[in-house]
Amino acid sequence: MHLWPHWLALIVLTPLVGAALTPVVALIDRRTPTWWALSTMTVTSFAATMLVLRIFHEGPFSYVPGGWTAPYGIELHFDEFSAVVGVICLVGWLAVLFSSRYTDSLPEFARGRTPYYYTLLLLNCGGMIGFTVTGDLFNLFVFMEVLSLSGYALVAVGGERIAEMAAFKYLLMGAISSLLVLFAIGFLYGITGTLNIADVTARLHGFEGPTAPAAVALGMLVVGFATKAAVFPLHVWLPDAHAAAPSPVSAVLSGLVVKVGVIGMIRVYRIYYGSGMFDLTVLNLVLIWLGAISIVMGAFFAVFQDDVKLMLAYSTISNIGYIVMGLGLATTYGVIGASVHIFNHALIKATLFFAVGAIIYRTGYRTLTDLRGVGRAMPLTAVALSVGAISIVGIPPTAGFLCKWYIALGAFQADRPFFGFVLIFGALLIFIYYIRMVNAFYFREPVHAEVAEAKDAPVSMLLPTLVLASLCLIMGILGRVPLTFIEPGVARLLAPLGG
Amino acid sequence: MEVVDIRPLLAPAMSFACAGMVFLFGRKTHWRRFWMLSAATIKMLIVLSMLPGSLQGVVYTFDLVDFTGGIGLGFRADALGMFFALVSSSLWVATTVYAIGYMREDEKRVRFFGFFALCVSTTVGIAFAENLLTFFLFYEMLTICTYPLVIHYETPEALSAGRAYLTYTLIGGAFVLVGTVMVHDATGTISLGHPGILDAGIGTGRLGFIFGLLVIGFATKAALMPLHGWLPRAMVAPTPVSALLHAVAVVKAGAFGIVRTVYNVFGVDLLDGLGFTLPLAALAAFTIITASVIAIFQDDLKRRLAYSTISQISYIVLAASMLTPFAATAAIVHFANQALAKITMFFVAGAIQRTTGKTNVHELAGIGHQMPWTMGAFTVASLSFIGMPLFAGFITKWYISLGALESGQWWFLLVMITSSLLNAAYFLPIVYLAFFKPARGAAAPMKEARPTLLVPTLVCAIWVIALGTTSEVAGMPFSLAEAAVRFVFRM
Amino acid sequence: MRAVDDSLMSSTAPVFAVLLPIAGAMLAPILGRTSRSARNVVLVVACAVTAALAFSFVPATMTGEIREAYLLRVTPQIWLHLRVDALGVLFGATVAGLWVLVLVYSLSHMADSHRLNRFYAFLMLCLGCMMGVAYAGNLLTFLIFYELFSILTYPLIVHDETPAALAAGTKYIVYILIGGSLVLVGVVFTYFVAGDQTLTAGGLLGSETDVGVLRAIFWCFIAGFGVKAAIVPLHGWVPDAHPAAPAPFSAVLSGVMVAAGTFGIARVVFQVFGIEILTHLGVMPYVAAFAAFTVFFAAVLAVSEDGIKRRLAYSTISQMGYVTLGIALLGAGAAVGALVHITNHAFMKGALFLCAGLLSKRAGIRSVSEMAGVARRMPWTMAAFSLASLGMIGTPPLAGFISKWYLGLGILDAGQPFYLAVLLGGSLIAAVYLLPIIYSAYFREPPSSSAERDDTESEAPAGMLVPTIVASLMTLALGLAATVPGSPLSLAQLAVDAFFR
Repeated sequence: MHLWPHWLALIVLTPLVGAALTPVVALIDRRTPTWWALSTMTVTSFAATMLVLRIFHEGPFSYVPGGWTAPYGIELHFDEFSAVVGVICLVGWLAVLFSSRYTDSLPEFARGRTPYYYTLLLLNCGGMIGFTVTGDLFNLFVFMEVLSLSGYALVAVGGERIAEMAAFKYLLMGAISSLLVLFAIGFLYGITGTLNIADVTARLHGFEGPTAPAAVALGMLVVGFATKAAVFPLHVWLPDAHAAAPSPVSAVLSGLVVKVGVIGMIRVYRIYYGSGMFDLTVLNLVLIWLGAISIVMGAFFAVFQDDVKLMLAYSTISNIGYIVMGLGLATTYGVIGASVHIFNHALIKATLFFAVGAIIYRTGYRTLTDLRGVGRAMPLTAVALSVGAISIVGIPPTAGFLCKWYIALGAFQADRPFFGFVLIFGALLIFIYYIRMVNAFYFREPVHAEVAEAKDAPVSMLLPTLVLASLCLIMGILGRVPLTFIEPGVARLLAPLGG
Repeated sequence: MEVVDIRPLLAPAMSFACAGMVFLFGRKTHWRRFWMLSAATIKMLIVLSMLPGSLQGVVYTFDLVDFTGGIGLGFRADALGMFFALVSSSLWVATTVYAIGYMREDEKRVRFFGFFALCVSTTVGIAFAENLLTFFLFYEMLTICTYPLVIHYETPEALSAGRAYLTYTLIGGAFVLVGTVMVHDATGTISLGHPGILDAGIGTGRLGFIFGLLVIGFATKAALMPLHGWLPRAMVAPTPVSALLHAVAVVKAGAFGIVRTVYNVFGVDLLDGLGFTLPLAALAAFTIITASVIAIFQDDLKRRLAYSTISQISYIVLAASMLTPFAATAAIVHFANQALAKITMFFVAGAIQRTTGKTNVHELAGIGHQMPWTMGAFTVASLSFIGMPLFAGFITKWYISLGALESGQWWFLLVMITSSLLNAAYFLPIVYLAFFKPARGAAAPMKEARPTLLVPTLVCAIWVIALGTTSEVAGMPFSLAEAAVRFVFRM
Repeated sequence: MRAVDDSLMSSTAPVFAVLLPIAGAMLAPILGRTSRSARNVVLVVACAVTAALAFSFVPATMTGEIREAYLLRVTPQIWLHLRVDALGVLFGATVAGLWVLVLVYSLSHMADSHRLNRFYAFLMLCLGCMMGVAYAGNLLTFLIFYELFSILTYPLIVHDETPAALAAGTKYIVYILIGGSLVLVGVVFTYFVAGDQTLTAGGLLGSETDVGVLRAIFWCFIAGFGVKAAIVPLHGWVPDAHPAAPAPFSAVLSGVMVAAGTFGIARVVFQVFGIEILTHLGVMPYVAAFAAFTVFFAAVLAVSEDGIKRRLAYSTISQMGYVTLGIALLGAGAAVGALVHITNHAFMKGALFLCAGLLSKRAGIRSVSEMAGVARRMPWTMAAFSLASLGMIGTPPLAGFISKWYLGLGILDAGQPFYLAVLLGGSLIAAVYLLPIIYSAYFREPPSSSAERDDTESEAPAGMLVPTIVASLMTLALGLAATVPGSPLSLAQLAVDAFFR
């Protein structure tokens, strides 16, 4: 009996159980929750590593807890897209590490509730992991709710009024989207009588009844997940939420949580591509256009932000636009690029939020005007920030480059060169913001004494930031690894069932 | 013959390392100077060490990263690249010495020299780029690294010039990237190691699109009209930077991109049948004439030089678009000819400004007696631009003219001649003022620029003559240009 | 296409003839800082040795030997090459000979002038480049030295740095650059069509080339060299530049530099195109017509000019018209007359300008109307002036007569007697503009105001006077010794024989 499948159960359960126990261990000492959360994430990360290694060697595999086989039991399915758990664990682990000092700077209200903060963080990670590895539609929804609810709370954890407002907006939009997804799952269950994704796909294949409910379900799923992914025009909740949250949380939210929507879309696509029920050209076109608008709009708004975190939040919208556009292009290159960007963007955006978080922690300022000259005061943090920025723009050989290259290539492959342009000019806009930032950080005289006298971030913050920054470079140079890895998954996604 | 060798990578890496050292340990003046000078010298030696092999037809290649699907980062020191690298690395030494003298009293020297080193590093990277992606990477890096140099004084004017510079060049860069993606989409490769990778089967429309993208992208940096707007404004930068921008790095990178596009991406055979180059040539001709005319009316010396640069760089574009061997020779050798003459002029402008504080042409009456060597160097460079025989510029003029006849486009010849005369019209008055017009008020005593400013100026001026007279001597880069032409035309 | 029966000989002497003056030029500012006399000695030695070299080619050339030297190979398509043929020897010896006189003259004439180092350096550089022009073995070498000396002339013209001089300099440079550009176009065209550029008697361009192209090349050359040769209407710079320049330099400017333009035309006509092609093209009658018009037009303007140097400048334009006319007729006799007139005119006009320099320097006389009675104060000067003037008019047995005689014969040979009228008419008008000066100097009473200065102003010192007199005596010598082997006439005949073989 191989131990492999049990890792799959472990990876889902560990963070959830760890989350539940955090308030308990907090009774021992004020510092314990940090260590507890760290060790929980360490175990999870270990499990994730093992799983990723396995899929590297053996390809996709499933685990059925308790031996209940599909379609009756709950199936956990680990495919190439699920490998994103690797980055979820990495960023989650680093976020916990980062938080160990960062929580000190939280308002009084939150500081007393540090254990709950870690609970929420672990719940969030657990939810995401569960979401990516489940093979079951209902579980999909459940995990989505776990991560969403913990996400709303995390945004509000600071306790400031603005954070509460942002969290409320997030909650409102999130709830509507959850509802849509839930209804759609109900529809699909009604049509097919199963919740297992593979089974749903199989039963829809060659389905002979009325197609309208399936179409409605598709629509609701796409809208629901698009809201979670903050695709234009469903993005309105994102900038405030991500800007208001504490920086490590922003890193998790921006880097990982929005991806849940995208992964959800990939799952939905698998169902509908596989079943061959509908011609998805129109939907794809809509996605491409929405993606394009997200790219340009997000980048455009980013350029005019003075608040660094708000800029990063808008940049997330822009990057999600890339991913959605890549998916919509439905060409091999496009989807490969989009899939890898899910992974790479998580690294990059986490780098950026960590670096900005460290700067805010040290200086207490968060706008470009206030942060003038910080590059000279906090050289290492600023360098990490620059690496992240270069990467998000997509300059070779950083992580952001290859995905954009592939998505652009996908646009040409799909004979839609216009979107290749949109993509590259979107990057250009982001670049302009980066220049403004560099200008402010390096070439302007400091306006505040705190900024001029700031020191580099403490090790617990600097280390995660630098690790991620170097990963931005490494993943660029080793860019071929994820690309070749994801290729069979993409081929399977785009192929009709049995075809 | 191709040889795998790390030196094409080492040359740009050398200045990278130097930049790092300057940033880290640059606070102490003597250490900073040590790093600057040693890196400049070592890099030049690395490039020079490849010269003998290169002259015998050896091509050094080094693949750094291979992403996947025919894209990666690679270096390749072919004859064309060697020519450009040789020019930029040797001029870097001169400019470094000059900049040390020029920036002696500046507060932000560390930053300045750090980015300065980065700029040249990226320029050599551009020269040795094996494929369009590597080219694009260094091309964008160059944009970024030059920016801090342009806004060095941090005045509102400088910042606004910096913004204009970035806007132009970044948009240009985006065009290049789209073009690169389209080339890859069309052929599956983006290598620059062949005399043309596209073929007519791709369809004229698409080829035209790619050509337009790449050329517009590169033309922004090459300051081809009407995309030249950033260049005169960028004159607010310190003079060594202007020299670097105008003579060595930035505009040349754009021109080099166009040359690579014409010769290595499309190939002369393909372009010959397509007729895309005629509009480009017309645009270049327009730029040559118009920029020269504008230059005549500039009183600020550096602005006059800037417009002259716009005009001169278009020589390269014009020559490249003629698609004949002689014209190609002209396009390549003009990299060196223009660079040396123009850098001399900027050095002179800077030396005058530092020594006497004068920046306008009309103030220069009688300065030739005050700074005879400096103005002598300026005269040499002027004569080169006018195309006086035995000066570097003549060689360009000669080959472009031959190329014009070869391509059957006689009107290019007229453009060349008119341009030479216009060059005379805006440079000779400066020489005239300096040497023959009595100074207003009491004649100032002879007071030359300090040696760190004067020596690089004179060295460059001597090279202008050397390039014009001894190109055939063994080891001179002219034969590299010939080798490049043979490769491009498959001779 | 190189003629095989020429006995070619490799030699470094032509290279020295070019480089020696340039070396002198380099030394001039260095020595001049410390010792004026040392500088002057070095300059005179350099100049004299150059002249000696130039004359030393004569005997060998008379035997048909052609010396060659490769100077520099810039690129595979650009190389410099010296080749001393009869035509080159003729011009080179003229240049070097006149230069020695002018240099010696200027040592005392310019003694109190400013920026002498610059003046001498550029003067010697010009000599080197002129020698290069004379001995150029291919078109490109010709072009290179031609352009160089044209530019290097500028500081000499504006030497006084007066507003008038500066304005004249600007005008000069504009004309010359445009002319030089046209020549360059011609050279590029020729190189493109013919490849090899060595100047030999047969002509470079083959008759298989398209007639339109040939015409285009031809007019580029004629228009380009025509600026320097001052063919009307391209003459505008000449009357301004000569009065502005210092007198000794005016002498060489008028004597050999303007002639370099006609020399270029001769090279183009006989050695780039060749007689046959030009006859076929039918362009020469137009050139002849322009030349004839130049002769008349400039002569008439000279008559109406009061300034001595301006009058002489117009005379130069007119005289160069003779040379161009002689070449344009494409006849052997006329060509001999034209070529020998280059030499003769050089010394005659040189002498006249040197005299003009003396007049303005010693007596402050700059215009014809001030000349009355000056011969009494400056008898030697006026004697020289008279001799050269008579030569210019074409009085036998002086130099001018020889060239005009051959020109006349050539005109008759070519069957175009109309041009005989031009020739004679030109001489007649020359008499009209030169003789009144002599008359006035000898026979008119000096104005009373200048009589008072008689005591202070006498003849010029020997340093200036001797070269002037030598130059004017050359007028006589060249006329009397025209038939001696090795004389300009014999060299011109030798050259022309090769062209018309």
